[in-house]
Amino acid sequence: MSAGTPPLSAPPPKPQVRALNCPKCGAGITLRTFGQAETVVCESCRCILDAKDPNLAILQQFEIKTSHVQPLIPLGTRGKLRGTDYEVIGFERRHSTLEGITYPWHEYVLFNPYKGFRYLSEYNGHWNDISICKELPMVGGGMLSGTSASPNYLGEVYAHFQTSDANTDFVLGEFPWQVRVGERAVVTDYVHPPRVLSSEKMDKEVTWSVGEYMYGREIWDTFKLPGSAPEAEGVYENQPSPVTTNVKGIWAIFILFAILLAGLMMGFDFTARKEQVFEQTYHWERATALGESSFVTDVFELKGGPSTVQVKSWAPVSNEWLYLNYALINQDTGRAWDFGREISYYSGYDSDGSWSEGSRNDTVVIPSVPSGHYYLRIEPEVDPAVRAISYSVQLTRDVPVFGIYGIAVVALLLPPLLISFRWYTFERSRWSESDHPPMQISGLNVNSEDDD
Amino acid sequence: MFRKFYLLFGLLTLGTVAFGQYRGWSLDTIDQVKNVPKSVRDNPGSYRSVYSSYHHYTGGK
Repeated sequence: MSAGTPPLSAPPPKPQVRALNCPKCGAGITLRTFGQAETVVCESCRCILDAKDPNLAILQQFEIKTSHVQPLIPLGTRGKLRGTDYEVIGFERRHSTLEGITYPWHEYVLFNPYKGFRYLSEYNGHWNDISICKELPMVGGGMLSGTSASPNYLGEVYAHFQTSDANTDFVLGEFPWQVRVGERAVVTDYVHPPRVLSSEKMDKEVTWSVGEYMYGREIWDTFKLPGSAPEAEGVYENQPSPVTTNVKGIWAIFILFAILLAGLMMGFDFTARKEQVFEQTYHWERATALGESSFVTDVFELKGGPSTVQVKSWAPVSNEWLYLNYALINQDTGRAWDFGREISYYSGYDSDGSWSEGSRNDTVVIPSVPSGHYYLRIEPEVDPAVRAISYSVQLTRDVPVFGIYGIAVVALLLPPLLISFRWYTFERSRWSESDHPPMQISGLNVNSEDDD
Repeated sequence: MFRKFYLLFGLLTLGTVAFGQYRGWSLDTIDQVKNVPKSVRDNPGSYRSVYSSYHHYTGGK
């Protein structure tokens, strides 16, 4: 961009700076733009002078309503912006009033004798590098004439953000237009982060400019300013989202994973042996259960590799309970899986109507049981109110555990949910300051630039 | 970057699920006891489950 442009970091071209005096107060006036500025402001008496006039005719004199307006980048400061040396030659403060609240911002005029003018704007620590549009933005195949729709500029579609009045209330330095304090323009901003497209309508003249978001630290580095840049407050209209990922793309990947997971589930369910290895019904009677109640089953064989073993218990309990102490014991190795299961079922009727809780069935799945010869040790404990009860026990080997898929779905959902929430909260903050509050951002482009 | 992370995370999740299903993982936690004596087969009362004398729920609503 700067190819062939002599850097300004070299000693400034002193002979071309004109030193003049203010016709009002006699203070020295420095012209840095080699006659390209339209107006220049006397820092001493706040007179706006005609820079094209050899006698610096007075165009306007204004008073500072606030006690202290100081540009963050002093006039005359030079820096290399996007490969080109620029000098800060002008500064103005403007404001918009929306719903009784005044929003002031600052604009800086930059100048390079070979590249011309460029601008910086600053609002609450948010900076924009602004230049005049090279061509008129288009909308619907024609040139944009109003403040509607979504203009297309250099292939990028911008969304309307805000239209407001911009009032100039302080100026300093040189300007390439006939600047006046008190002048009013209708400014319409369209955004495509990190860029903003602005139309500024004053009388019958419309000026289009395009800006790109810059961080304060970049400005400080560019102009070698002392200290550090003021912290940015809030979210600015064209501030790049911290979520650089394509959110829709992440959800598409989630759907793909969900389909793969469903495929896995169906595949394992289809191939699972679901082999019933043991089933028996037992009868318990209090009259004959005075001694040791525990007993062991016949030996059964589990074949194949480590797999799940599902133990199903059933008893016709009604307002009573049955507790079964189980131990699945490997006869060969002495290794045991020890667990207890309660079967209880209660029901009744009260002022709220009928109720019930518990179940006559119980199922537990023992994980990763290796092959071998096994037997069950069962020790029943029975509700004291029960005199006799039958219960059945059924063991099935290699059953699919669907809960694992539920956990996997939740795990797969978390990243898209988190990134979507982060994206949403940021965009909500951005658009809450616009003419289109968050509830109306249906046209908002979910796709942000991917960082991959 | 996030997309790569998510792709990797998702593949690891699917891989873990597939491995878990292959190895017979379960969501139930079952205590394991080693070296249960062979005499249990002949004398079941010689083994006492850690869950025996569990405090049972005895009421309804």
